[in-house]
Amino acid sequence: MSNTFVDAYPKQARIIRQAFLTSFIALAIGAFFGLIQALHRTNILRAIESPTYYTVLTGHGVFLVITFTIFFLVGVYQWAVTESLERGPVDMRFTWGWYGLMLTGTMLAAFAILAGFTDAIDVSADVLFTFYAPLQGHPIFYIGLVVFVVGTWLAGADWFRTWLAWKGENPGKRIPLPTFMVLTTMIMWYISSIGVAVAILAFILPWSIGIVESINPTLTRTLFWYFGHPVVYFWLLPAYLMWYILLPKLSGGRLFSDPLARVVFILFILLSTPVGIHHQYLDPGIAEGFKYIAMTNTMFLLLPSLLTAFTVVASMEHGARQRGGKGYFGWLKALPWREPAFTGMALAGMVFAFGGFTGIVNAGMNINYLVHNSLWVPGHIHTQVGTAVALTFMAGSYWLIPQLTGNRLVGRGIALFQVVLWFVGIVIMTNAMYRGGLIGMPRRTAEPEYEGFNYEVAAGSVGELNAQVALGGTLLFVSTMIFLALMILTLFNGESEPIDNRTIPAPLSGPEDSPPVLDNLKLWVAIAAVLVVLAYVIPLASIVSRGGLFGPDIGPFPVFVEPVSLLIETVLVSIGW
Amino acid sequence: MRLSWPQLLIVIALLIVILVELRTVLAFFEIHLSVTATAVLAVVVIGALVLWTVLSSADRSE
Amino acid sequence: MKIHTYEKLWLVASLVLIVGFIATITYGSVALGITMVGDEEPTIEPDEISDDERFGEPRVEQVGENEYEAYVIAQTFIFQPETIEVPADSEVTFYVTSRDVIHSFSVVGTNTNTMVIPGEISTLTVEFDEPDEYGIVCNEYCGDFHHTMEGQLHVVPEDEFDMTELAVEADDEVEIDDDATFEVAVENRQLEALETTVALEIGDETLEEDVTVDSQMTEETTFTVDSADLGEGDHDWTVTVDDYEESGTLTVAEDLEDEDGNEDGDEGDGGDDGDNETDEEGDTDE
Ligand code: HEM
Ligand SMILES: [Cu+2]
Ligand SMILES: [Cu+2]
Repeated sequence: MSNTFVDAYPKQARIIRQAFLTSFIALAIGAFFGLIQALHRTNILRAIESPTYYTVLTGHGVFLVITFTIFFLVGVYQWAVTESLERGPVDMRFTWGWYGLMLTGTMLAAFAILAGFTDAIDVSADVLFTFYAPLQGHPIFYIGLVVFVVGTWLAGADWFRTWLAWKGENPGKRIPLPTFMVLTTMIMWYISSIGVAVAILAFILPWSIGIVESINPTLTRTLFWYFGHPVVYFWLLPAYLMWYILLPKLSGGRLFSDPLARVVFILFILLSTPVGIHHQYLDPGIAEGFKYIAMTNTMFLLLPSLLTAFTVVASMEHGARQRGGKGYFGWLKALPWREPAFTGMALAGMVFAFGGFTGIVNAGMNINYLVHNSLWVPGHIHTQVGTAVALTFMAGSYWLIPQLTGNRLVGRGIALFQVVLWFVGIVIMTNAMYRGGLIGMPRRTAEPEYEGFNYEVAAGSVGELNAQVALGGTLLFVSTMIFLALMILTLFNGESEPIDNRTIPAPLSGPEDSPPVLDNLKLWVAIAAVLVVLAYVIPLASIVSRGGLFGPDIGPFPVFVEPVSLLIETVLVSIGW
Repeated sequence: MRLSWPQLLIVIALLIVILVELRTVLAFFEIHLSVTATAVLAVVVIGALVLWTVLSSADRSE
Repeated sequence: MKIHTYEKLWLVASLVLIVGFIATITYGSVALGITMVGDEEPTIEPDEISDDERFGEPRVEQVGENEYEAYVIAQTFIFQPETIEVPADSEVTFYVTSRDVIHSFSVVGTNTNTMVIPGEISTLTVEFDEPDEYGIVCNEYCGDFHHTMEGQLHVVPEDEFDMTELAVEADDEVEIDDDATFEVAVENRQLEALETTVALEIGDETLEEDVTVDSQMTEETTFTVDSADLGEGDHDWTVTVDDYEESGTLTVAEDLEDEDGNEDGDEGDGGDDGDNETDEEGDTDE
């Protein structure tokens, strides 16, 4: 008898499949938009008008880093909680409830964004995923975001509730590691997403509806980044969970150290939030001292990732040696490279380590001035969330989807090719993005070649950089499509053999080796709150005292009527009116 | 075969990636490789690797 | 808590690395004096920018021997001034503010890069050693024509740089035998006095006058030409001061009233619209 997750928990498997489905639809649209961007920016194929580029870019950002990543997260986390607590949620209706809210929110936001493609509906939200005021999108966009975030809050509440119920049944037991990771991630999320919720509910939404007249752009921007840095860890931590839980198993061994994994996740609760100002090194109106504090905190935030690198590599080596690997580097050959799930995650980890260095460059405030908002930044984004996270998710799906459907993975060899193709594509694309950034090519720009000057390219030429971005982007798009095709084929695959055994071997060093205080979540919440207060109260107070709570009297800048009226204006002018 | 097919695929991917990045690193030291030169280098290196892998397998099978 | 020896080593190495990064960056900002945009400047109401002493007229000002200040406005989808000109071997402080949404002011390929937020004034001090030409872009998405927002920064050789402005007010047409007047205003916005020569060429006559314009002052010179010497017809004229040039055409007519549609024959203050009035912002030939 096969022993898959869906056999044991059919109801839970169903909702996880739903979450993944939503996530993959977002991936499909996002990847298509990515391709359009990669070809448009580089002037290789301009299928759309340049102002429409920003509608596409808004969609790319929102669908990929909000919808794709977070729906995948709730799926994996639901799996991790169910599997490690060996029980389902207290009430499945509640579970479907938060899923429904997240979906509703997504649909609303997606409607507002996609309506930007047509003039038939007077709705649009070409504000990019950062929606900096005074750029103004349609209220539906902001409402959608809020509803979505509330859905994730309830998801977290659901997991806490499941854990409390489990605790009642298992008094005195340590929190199982996967659940520990889920709960700590959600604590971080609660602390940080308050920022964006306040930004939208208190300021941007009332202003977009017209209840308040004006806005303090620095304040909403700071609140956004209060949330904007931790959100990158919200994308990353499910990938970490898979690196800690699945990767050692896939390598043929077991996790090196459970205690260290707990320490890592606690460090994320503590340090993820009080760093957001590192995105604002270039902002006027924020004192240098606050920026300096954000920089030091950011550097310490390297620690959990460095520790993860150690544990992951050590666990892989352990697995390889279990499989008969020998020698200083010879053990690498003994790893299961034919497994797309393993190989994808290993390659993702490698790209992540590389991208980490570019992140250090961003974090160093002096060098940041050179690269801020240049193409370097999407270079960094695609190595980190675009690969470390996205490729891990895809690789993880190759293992998870058979568990969730009871169907054998279709096309293991093609799947291996797919993850390798992503790896090559991302390096080709981001290499050119990094180089373009260093010569000052801006990001978020439909036509980055200007009339008044030429770039001084240190090596190669702008044409070559463009070709590289387009080539890499195309490979990535193809890779995404292969992935999605394999997912669909697997979903409808009648065969159920063979599917990997689902048991996760116990770590070499178990939770009993760590002090129980690590599981004292209240303590960590309290310390995290203190750190956040220290890092943010004074800067926020100073921003409010400078610009006022509701800011100076700047008229809104509605991006949702502008394109139309400007277009009409341009047309009228050009026909000589 | 000295390397299995999956291993070969991955080593090729790594080589491509290393070449792309190496070219950038060399440019910092004022050594400029043209696209064609890099492509030729890639073909030579990857070709050699494939031959090495496949031929050695032929050796053993005989 | 049990920690493996290798883990401990790795932990220590990681912490050393982190502290090392922080130390390097701190050294960069404290010892090398690399500064960031901060909160030194007071805020400014975006809709009062036009009345502001600095931003009312976006421009470059000289404030010290080799020190300049540039007041720049970013707005959808332009920079004002569009071209900023400063001399080499100078220290320039940029003051940048926005009239509408968030923009950036980014000198391409350099670390002269700042966000421009409405309500706030970004300041950046930059030293320019060598003459060069840079592009300026807005690298923060600011609306649907964001990609068209650009400007230029010209760092010109010191000896080619000045902040002279030339304006000429001249008659368009005069009746023969009347005098034609050319009022030439030379403004010097530099700190040093400007010694130069104003020259008027008309027909085959050349009139010259040496002037000294004190710092921040405007000198007026008036040339008078007897139209009888020129004779009837159209006469091209050119006024030059250093590298600046203004030109126009003077019509000398027998009897002005014959000219159709133009009753503006008489001289005097009321006749402004009949004058050939030009005003050119200082730009230097490289
Ligand atoms: C199919 C593969 C992909 C391609 C071809 C692609 C292409 C691009 C390009 C060319 C840009 C730069 C746009 C600009 O700044 O003008 C961009 C931005 C971005 N991409 Fe991707 N991308 C892909 C996949 C992904 C994935 C998987 C993620 C994340 C999960 C992602 C996240 C982002 C983000 C967050 C931005 C910045 C958006 C912004 O500036 O508002 N991309 N992408
Ligand atoms: Cu960040
Ligand atoms: Cu812009």
